[in-house]
Amino acid sequence: MRPILLAGHERALTQIKYNADGDLIFSVSKDQVICVWKSHNGERLGTYRGHQGAIWTIDVDPTCTILASGSADNTIRLWDIKTGKCLKTWDFPTAVKRVEFNEDGTKLLGVTEKRMGHLGTIVVFEVKIDVEAEQTDEKELTIVCEESKATVAGWSYLSKYIIAGHEDGSVSQYDGKTGDLIYNIPIHELNQQITDLQWSQDRTYFITASKDKTAKLISAKDLEVLKNYPSDTPLNSATITPKKDFVILGGGQAAMDVTTTAARQGKFEARFYHKIFEDEIGRVRGHFGPLNTVAADPTGKGYASGGEDGYVRVHAFDKGYYDFMYEVERERQNRLAATA
Amino acid sequence: MAAQTKHDWADDEDLEETTTAPTTDLPPPQKIQNKDGTWTIIEYRYNDEGQKVKATRRVRYVVRREVVNPRVAERKTWAKFGDSAKDPPGPAADTTTVGENIIFRPSVNWRKEAKDEANDPNAQAMKDKLRDKKVKCRICNGEHFTARCPYKDTMAPIGEAGAADVAAGMGDEPAAAGAASVGAAGPGKKGSYVPPALRAGAAGAGERMGGKYSDRDDLATLRVTNVSEMAEEQELRDMFERFGRVTRVFLAKDRDTGLAKGFAFISFADRDDAVKACNKMDGFGFRHLILRVEFAKKAQ
Repeated sequence: MRPILLAGHERALTQIKYNADGDLIFSVSKDQVICVWKSHNGERLGTYRGHQGAIWTIDVDPTCTILASGSADNTIRLWDIKTGKCLKTWDFPTAVKRVEFNEDGTKLLGVTEKRMGHLGTIVVFEVKIDVEAEQTDEKELTIVCEESKATVAGWSYLSKYIIAGHEDGSVSQYDGKTGDLIYNIPIHELNQQITDLQWSQDRTYFITASKDKTAKLISAKDLEVLKNYPSDTPLNSATITPKKDFVILGGGQAAMDVTTTAARQGKFEARFYHKIFEDEIGRVRGHFGPLNTVAADPTGKGYASGGEDGYVRVHAFDKGYYDFMYEVERERQNRLAATA
Repeated sequence: MAAQTKHDWADDEDLEETTTAPTTDLPPPQKIQNKDGTWTIIEYRYNDEGQKVKATRRVRYVVRREVVNPRVAERKTWAKFGDSAKDPPGPAADTTTVGENIIFRPSVNWRKEAKDEANDPNAQAMKDKLRDKKVKCRICNGEHFTARCPYKDTMAPIGEAGAADVAAGMGDEPAAAGAASVGAAGPGKKGSYVPPALRAGAAGAGERMGGKYSDRDDLATLRVTNVSEMAEEQELRDMFERFGRVTRVFLAKDRDTGLAKGFAFISFADRDDAVKACNKMDGFGFRHLILRVEFAKKAQ
């Protein structure tokens, strides 16, 4: 496969998101610009300017109408995807590390940083998916993380729970309506922060990536660890591929140590694991720095990765990827074909 | 005035920009349809050195229809905005490029394959063989490498000549005895290196290193240790000549630095002279160091 290189950013990438139909890719980096790209040919559709700090996070609503971004300039902004206009700005006392829309796009959560005497919080806003509508100023919910700050968070199926990953390696489950803490389970190694949390398509389970060099597949309902994917490098991101039962992990040596290592040693590769059998099945190299974010195309045709090197690489899978099957999977398919 | 004459590097770029500014005299790009259905696109631009460049491309357009969701189709008609507002349709060359081809073939035993590449079976066999071997110092028989020996500078290796292998647990004798059998098996085992001495054509046990000294009389040879780095062979010869006729002086020197390594061998013509020298010179102060003199052990 020949990846498409997107060189729209001048600094390290922080997050990449596909829209629900997989035709647009949104990328944010520390250079304060949001870019939107067409996924099939890598053409840049536009940019969204306005943030005055590194942008840490982005999310797009399920109908692909508005865009939410969280930045180190202590704001969450909503944007009109089609025109690039800023629709709304919410101010916070500290930087925003994560935003996510719920399944139907009616609510938006934001994770704020713990700094300058402010505790880390998870805030929830009601959002209207309409470019013309007036957005509310009132927070619907504020969850304060007193023990360890949340680094990532997301909405489970039916917006029933808010799941958060913490700096100390634990994962907590909050009630989606009241914000009450239901569980807090130490899942990753103590004090190895959780760097990413991405959902399966039906949002019943999710994958977490951690600095403790593992990624784990966890069920949303009871926070049971379903699968464990160990690697040999600190991980920054993990995603679940639709269509095929794989997960993609991205990581590499911490950015501050990178100049002292060769690309080969730095382990700057996207790692593919089989979601069910937990085996590593291959790697894709290409970045010159650690991978900060990976995102799978919702149509299952490809994936994109963003690195500390400032590039987004968009990959379209070729035949070998689709054909790959375990012996048991092939046998099962043959059996089903025979009975049908 | 000074400001005017002083040349500032920061001004450089501005000057160049003004000189290369009239870029409007480029011919407009041309697009010509060829008979075989392809298009020839001729474009003009300036390169980094300010030279005019003509680029001719032949392009074939292939229309491939794809059925997409109406939402996606609607989005395809969206106009560009923001920093891309002025870009022509299609990917812009400054932001989008195509990377080199990457071969990605998922495989169950991906990890195993990568490992096999790293160490071939020969290396594995060697590893197995060496697993039970212990590191043994050639100087003091301690469990460390000879280079790390605390007595490195003060003591010479035990049984200096050719004894290295003995200490490592692979004696000369078994090797020599096994030479015939190994030699016979040598050519049959493809790929593994067989040293010349062990090859089928080699003469028996092979020559020992330093064979020309093999008939040397070790009985009259002294080993001198704790010799100063600055020592010269001639100085040693002068010192030991006093006790009798010296046939050979060997001062071990570092190949790179040329400095003495700290030990030497002195051979006398007569063993009595050697005994005398040994008694007198042991404990002799030479260049701030106390010499230690003893009879060299016979090489094995």
